[in-house]
Amino acid sequence: MTLTSSYLLSLTTFAYLAAAFLYLVLWVFRVRKVGVLATIVTVGGFSLQTAGIILRWIESYQLGYGHAPLSNLYESLVFFSWVTILVYLVLEWRIRNRVIGAFATPFASLTMAYASFSPRVEDAIQPLIPALQSNWLIAHVVTCFLGYASFAVACGLGIMYLIRGDSREGDGILSSLPRKRVIDDLMHQTIIFGFLWLSIGIITGAVWANEAWGTYWSWDPKETWSLITWFVYAIALHARFVKGWTGNRIAYLSIIGFISVIFTYFGVNFLLSGLHSYGSQ
Amino acid sequence: MKNASRGRGENPVISFLTSIRLAIFLLITLAVTSIVGTVIPQGEPLQFYLERYGDTAFRLIHVLDLDNTYGSWWFVGLLILFSVNLIACTLKRLPHTLALYRKDSLEVDLDRLIRSSMKRSWETANGTDEIKRAKAIFAKAAGKAVGRDGVDGGHLLLAETGKWSYWGLYILHSSILVILFGAIIGTFFGFKGNLLLFEGEATDRVMSRDGQREIPLGFQVRCNDFFLDFYENGAPKEYRSDLSIYQNGTEVLSRSIRVNSPLSYDGITFYQSSYQAVPEVTIRVTSTDGLHKSLTIPAFEKIPWQEARLVFGILQYLPNVHGAPAARIAVSNEKGQIDAIWLVPGREKDLRFDGKDLRFTLEKAHMRYMTGLQVKKDPGVWIVWLGCTALIFGFVIVFWVPHRRIWLWCGERDGKTVVLLAGQSNKNQIQFEKDFARVEDALDRELGAMK
Ligand code: HEM
Repeated sequence: MTLTSSYLLSLTTFAYLAAAFLYLVLWVFRVRKVGVLATIVTVGGFSLQTAGIILRWIESYQLGYGHAPLSNLYESLVFFSWVTILVYLVLEWRIRNRVIGAFATPFASLTMAYASFSPRVEDAIQPLIPALQSNWLIAHVVTCFLGYASFAVACGLGIMYLIRGDSREGDGILSSLPRKRVIDDLMHQTIIFGFLWLSIGIITGAVWANEAWGTYWSWDPKETWSLITWFVYAIALHARFVKGWTGNRIAYLSIIGFISVIFTYFGVNFLLSGLHSYGSQ
Repeated sequence: MKNASRGRGENPVISFLTSIRLAIFLLITLAVTSIVGTVIPQGEPLQFYLERYGDTAFRLIHVLDLDNTYGSWWFVGLLILFSVNLIACTLKRLPHTLALYRKDSLEVDLDRLIRSSMKRSWETANGTDEIKRAKAIFAKAAGKAVGRDGVDGGHLLLAETGKWSYWGLYILHSSILVILFGAIIGTFFGFKGNLLLFEGEATDRVMSRDGQREIPLGFQVRCNDFFLDFYENGAPKEYRSDLSIYQNGTEVLSRSIRVNSPLSYDGITFYQSSYQAVPEVTIRVTSTDGLHKSLTIPAFEKIPWQEARLVFGILQYLPNVHGAPAARIAVSNEKGQIDAIWLVPGREKDLRFDGKDLRFTLEKAHMRYMTGLQVKKDPGVWIVWLGCTALIFGFVIVFWVPHRRIWLWCGERDGKTVVLLAGQSNKNQIQFEKDFARVEDALDRELGAMK
């Protein structure tokens, strides 16, 4: 049997599903060893996925198309889940708290599951149509998805914040979550990080559109939705300076913001029409 | 400025315009109203909206310009209010920032240092030598330092970085204005147009994108060739046009353009955007009265044959009938009579028309390509890119460039010689704590040993 990228990537799907399950077990039953296992499975899945992406890149050259695996909906989903795990792993390593995994890894595993099993997602390697033959494609997709992935993690933190309550010790599964102040701070940091990358993503997209079509901004639905998303997070950043817009509201904003991200990503392709036919196959 | 949306005795209009509440309100409004234009198709003829949405909704769409949401009076109004808010907010904050920036960090007293978030003090028995060394160590570990005598009876050293980072927020906010300004310049001093050019054809004017007017280019552009390439699976691989620019009849520039690789000349840029293939046939007609002629007929055109008083045109064209093209040619005369005949290459055909016998030969039949170009002039685009760059730099400065101060005070206190290290940073405390600890350790090795 030859090792193919599809095989590695479907293994990844199962690894991430398992990891999400283990993080959930860790959170609910608070067994430390399960947490270690969850991290191991996540890192393992991440390595498989990295190998899968590289292999897919090589395969595209063998097919004579030769392009980075970032060119259709399937590849972008895979990349999205890869970045989400990357952002999460960095977070876990920096703050040394695994419970957040229960709120972050599900995004990556659901994305991989959708990419692998949905009949709407074509997973064959396709050649690049002329509009996508640009180095800006890579810059644009990578930066946008760094933003999207950070927002996914921020959304997980927002959910965590809302269910956390003010309980301290000993009462049920909620108290094993980090303190509200800690979650709030992490959420803020993640939003800042995501906002920076989304901004760069929008700008590289504009540069690319200017190169390909001669307009850096044409208010097509995808562009407009990315701007709406950008506004939502700009609100979240400024809300800190208005009295009363603390904790809960920022948490809601980070969830609304991520819904807007999802809509920018899928909704526009499936429900609206525009220039970015890119993800619509 | 925090929470101070309504200062004492302030004009209510001004305090409204400078408030961050208004900023949040505008951001929400812009986000919500932007959705409209993604749900309602933009830029269609009015008839379309009437048919699709019915009478009442149509009136609303018409009044609110919802067929052109992002150029509508109320959306532009929101953007203007947004800019005013941003400018007002910035101006209001300016004195405060200026004061922060001008504030001399050496202008502190001992109590203030003792209240710093990071501090450490040492006592030394004898003084001068050790203190000299401590200062040298400080300057080495904490970076370039400035000093001042007579601060609470001692000497104060200060290592300070990133004070300028207070301006990051101004760079960030004004970058948004710069981007909007660039967009305005582009709208008023540039144009966007479309151009369809046959291979071999040249023009010195383009049609504006809204189809309303013709724009002179000031030079000629010629399409020498158009190429089309496909992958094996049938997906398009490349569209390419070979263009030449002529200035007063002489060629000044010649280049191929592709999607993602445009050509610019004299501030005007040509983008490969589409193509059209149009059939063209050449026929040879011989009449019984001895006349004969070769005629080249492009699609959609009527080509006259003066001597025979006949007019020809293509009725139908099939690019591939058993491996060869076929064309149905219409022939008509002044009396309004008309007939048609199918032609394939290499086979003569006769037609009796208007009392004459005509013999047709299809000499050549092919698709002629027209390249579809977008043409743009945008003198504001560089301003937009400048604004985008400033936005990113501003953002990075706002969140990642800290204003850090580390002080070292040496002097007499309660009869002892004291060395006090104190530090403060306005962001990224964790990294600052590490760096502060490094300075602390370096001093510790010198001063702690004496204990
Ligand atoms: C969409 C455009 C905007 C972006 C991207 C933006 C971005 C930012 C960012 C990143 C910060 C720093 C937040 C922090 O330190 O946590 C900030 C602060 C601020 N923004 Fe904006 N801003 C925008 C529009 C506006 C507008 C229209 C106003 C007008 C009132 C405004 C007023 C302020 C003020 C007053 C602060 C500083 C608060 C403080 O440090 O005390 N911003 N902005």
